[in-house]
Amino acid sequence: MTPSHPDVVGSGVAAPLPTHTPTDDALATVVDIRRFSIHDGAGIRTTVFLKGCPLACVWCQNPETISPRIEPVFFPKTCIGCGKCVEKSSNGEAIRDSDGAIAIDTTAQGNWQAIIDACPTGAIRWNATSYRIPELVELLLRDRPFFRNGGGVTLSGGEPLFRPKVAIELLRQLHAQHVDTAIETALHVKTSAIAEAAEHLDTIFADIKIFDSIKHAAAIGRGNSLVLENIHYLLTSSHREKVVVRTPLIPGYTTDPENIRAIGHYLRSLNPDVRWELLNYNPLAGAKYDQVPDREFAYAAGKNPPLYTEDEMKEFRDLARSTGVRRIVEQ
Amino acid sequence: MTPTSTRSAPTRSHSFIGIPSRPRIQELRDEMLSEERVVSVEQALITTRVYAAHPDEPVIVRRALALAQALQELNIVIHPRELIVGNRTAQVRAGVVSPEAGSSWVDREIESLPTRPQDRFAVDAQTITAFRTQISPAWKGLSLEDVIRDRCGASIDEIDKVVKINQKDHAQGHICPDLTRWLTLGPAGLKAEADSALSNATGDAADFYRSVSIVMGAAQAFLLRYAQLAHTMSAQETNPERQADLDTVGKALDHIAVEAPSSFHEAVQSTWMLFVLLHAESNASSFSPGRLDRILEPYYQHDLDAGTLSREGALELIECLWLKFNSIVYLRNQNSAKYFAGFPIGFNIAIGGQDENGDDVANDLSFLFLAAQAHLGLPQPNLSVRLHKGTKDELLTEAIHVVARGSGMPQFFNDSSVIPALIALGIPEREARDYAIVGCVELTTQGNNLGWSDAAMFNLNKVLELTLTGGIDLLTGKQIGPNFGTLREYEKYEDLEAAFAAMIDHYTELMIAACDVVDRTHADILPSPLLSSVIDGCLEKGVDVTRGGAIHNLSGIQMIQAASLADSLASIKTLIYDAKKLTADQMMSALEADFEGFEVEQAIMLNKAPKYGNDNPEVDAAAAKWASYFAAGLKKYVNARGGKYHTGMYTVSAHVPMGQNVGASPDGRNARQPLADGGLSPVYGRDMTGPTAVLHTVSRLDNTLTSNGGLLNMKFLPEFFASESNVDKFSTFMRAFIDLEIPHVQFNVVRREDLIAAQAHPDQYRSLTVRVAGYTAYFVELAGDLQNEIIARTTQSL
Repeated sequence: MTPSHPDVVGSGVAAPLPTHTPTDDALATVVDIRRFSIHDGAGIRTTVFLKGCPLACVWCQNPETISPRIEPVFFPKTCIGCGKCVEKSSNGEAIRDSDGAIAIDTTAQGNWQAIIDACPTGAIRWNATSYRIPELVELLLRDRPFFRNGGGVTLSGGEPLFRPKVAIELLRQLHAQHVDTAIETALHVKTSAIAEAAEHLDTIFADIKIFDSIKHAAAIGRGNSLVLENIHYLLTSSHREKVVVRTPLIPGYTTDPENIRAIGHYLRSLNPDVRWELLNYNPLAGAKYDQVPDREFAYAAGKNPPLYTEDEMKEFRDLARSTGVRRIVEQ
Repeated sequence: MTPTSTRSAPTRSHSFIGIPSRPRIQELRDEMLSEERVVSVEQALITTRVYAAHPDEPVIVRRALALAQALQELNIVIHPRELIVGNRTAQVRAGVVSPEAGSSWVDREIESLPTRPQDRFAVDAQTITAFRTQISPAWKGLSLEDVIRDRCGASIDEIDKVVKINQKDHAQGHICPDLTRWLTLGPAGLKAEADSALSNATGDAADFYRSVSIVMGAAQAFLLRYAQLAHTMSAQETNPERQADLDTVGKALDHIAVEAPSSFHEAVQSTWMLFVLLHAESNASSFSPGRLDRILEPYYQHDLDAGTLSREGALELIECLWLKFNSIVYLRNQNSAKYFAGFPIGFNIAIGGQDENGDDVANDLSFLFLAAQAHLGLPQPNLSVRLHKGTKDELLTEAIHVVARGSGMPQFFNDSSVIPALIALGIPEREARDYAIVGCVELTTQGNNLGWSDAAMFNLNKVLELTLTGGIDLLTGKQIGPNFGTLREYEKYEDLEAAFAAMIDHYTELMIAACDVVDRTHADILPSPLLSSVIDGCLEKGVDVTRGGAIHNLSGIQMIQAASLADSLASIKTLIYDAKKLTADQMMSALEADFEGFEVEQAIMLNKAPKYGNDNPEVDAAAAKWASYFAAGLKKYVNARGGKYHTGMYTVSAHVPMGQNVGASPDGRNARQPLADGGLSPVYGRDMTGPTAVLHTVSRLDNTLTSNGGLLNMKFLPEFFASESNVDKFSTFMRAFIDLEIPHVQFNVVRREDLIAAQAHPDQYRSLTVRVAGYTAYFVELAGDLQNEIIARTTQSL
């Protein structure tokens, strides 16, 4: 929703061309740094959203983080229609349409840096910033005075382990500074990456969304064998106490009682004392899809289901508890 | 447990919010709030008459005699359900006219008082006639207002777009009396002290002691008048419960008129009477009780130990006192009401914090005060919690629970910032540790300090404007200041800085000259013997408080407003001198046109330069640099009472009228729009990096800059307080606030109305974030239907 404004807030490295996929392991691709996060783990945290994810859930809450590329993004509400972008456009990137409004085709090739520099309002921005890891660590530690009573840094995304070397180095440097670390991972990554990252993590929020691999593939783009393998690894490893399993409640996709039961039974078989959290559906995500032209949200406009009520959430938790998993996280 | 008090150790849960208010509280509250505010000239008539009858007495004696006569004649009322009684008028919340301080403005504005935009009062024809025929003519040329106008009116007008000189038509106030001294000695004891000193005194000192003796004798008689009224009403009362109340009230007043309080009830009654008397003498803003939890604790504990008082009973008395704090307001002129809107009468009570040895002082009363605030949710008292490393989690958590109720109170002060700042000002460490707050956020030692904390407000943003234009007012095109160069001429940013410094010096000089005249005129026209008797140093020296009788004599100047200034300077430096995205001519043309036809330039200034409040060291340093420059410039001056000038960073509501004086500014702000609020706060909506970044930004301001007080406003959605886990996180946030040595913070809980306002004015709410389940978003960037959903949800959670 709110990428950093590279020329205002961060001192990030100048963004490369949009078609460029960062591969330099010294550079992290950051969509946002969210300070005073009070929902992504214990205490007051700084959450960094890293770009790139191997999965593509149709309900994704941060669809702009799926692509690993740094791309231009347009916020029409912020545009004042000055047309400075049109002046810099050579390939149909920015045009003034017949009713006078500015239309931006963020998929077009062009001189986006010049267009973004020319935009006086920031309506056109890069949707991520590259940071050198030590520089990013410095930014993430800015709130150190607030990292008490369990607070610290959370890696989110995207899939933070999409570029494992970047994430692991980031975690290593944070841990070396005695900062509490957490990660929010969808687990569709190599087990060796999980294992190495876990050495530098205090809390691992690990998603299992859909237990049936075919349904998983239909909604998410890939089967879940790697996810289940990684859960198996985590819950049987020495890191088992760090794990909080999460299942997002996506109406019609993950909320089938059979799905909840199957996940629960699997978890119980590995470790009945694992913490398991059911996350309420977040209807706000739909608003972000305007900024991601090549992706479509799970629900059509007007069909977006509401949040579950507290009573409904309690029913879900009771269902989860009935599977024999003993530590259902209450929100 | 505190070493100074062996009886206050909290031994069990101290949350008293769950104790219900007794029925009389709701009754008294409803009755008070339903009464219309009216203008009263009752005391003005008495004052005018007494001054005329004693033309040859010195001013201080005339003032003492006038007050004494008023205390004898004013109509007094006891409401049948009251446990704590007393007021300076028969009506509650009356707007009292004090012609000796200001009557010309009343003459100009009296008809508009019922309809003016801010802080209205009803006024009847009889009052207008009495004022016009019997009061106003007697004070022409003689009131404080008129004398100041004669002495320096022209020079005050000349600088009024840059500097607002305060206290020009009313007594000073803004003081924390030595309440312990009052409670211990009472009017009888203070009169005896004055009488004893009088026998050896001559000249001004003799006049002073004689005046104190007159007013303290009258104060005692005033208490006895109330006692008598209670007894009379009791004799006629048929309801035995009310009769018992009246008897208790009457006995308490009989006792405190002659002796020190013997119970908590008497101590609370005596406390309130002191403030009634101070308002009767001065009719001024901000007489503050100070550390009332500490001061009243011995009386409370005594009664609790003796079994004569329960916590419920104590809470009832406290709530009665709290209602009383809302029963006095103060009549300001129309312009002043814009700067100090909504009756900030300033009964500031500080709870918690350190004692002289650095140990925590919080006790039962601290918690009972919080409970009273939670129950009543009224604007007074202005409840302040002092925090320090030794503050117990229990108090902090309870205070957060009260904040969550959304009255904006309590506000928080930080001992780790305030105490060093006061010590740097030359206050001895023991006194600095015992600091209190007067008015809104002004810092003071207790009972010995005429801080004159609202001497003036200095608009740094207007000074910058004149530095860019060569002294031309952007709003009128007129030359109103000296020409030290223009932005079009400055080749380097450093050239601009040099001119800005010179412009600050120029206006500082003129401001101090005016402050000096105002200060001396107060001493000439409004000596205050009653106030002097409860300010340490005055009785000892035989010198009235307005003449420098207090032990500490400061003058506080407010800087308006560092965030707006830093944003403008960052914009100039970044866009013109560093990144060269604009030329000086483009920027000046845009400012001169108030951005009309320069929308792109305005967008660049708004969006392409960094802003204060985002933990950006460079921008934040600009705020600190110029605030420090201004504060350092004051150090070479001494005020009329021989004390220092120092600075505060708070605006009350002055960021609005001060903004009306400033043309379009380089930060992208349109002409006449408000400046940043608070004093330490970022400009609305420009803090895009969250509350922790705001604290980091503010922490870069040297805490000596706010020795007169700083004010940081922050806004949170109710959801931040929705669960105990979040309250804990909030408490963690406050612990970091302590460590970051930020002087002050107060929290507004964002309401449904705010969210609706954010839909209408997204530019002012850009930084408002909302969180539902999975992620955080900026509210104004959400689609309308999602915004509506959040609004609906916010309603539910309240």
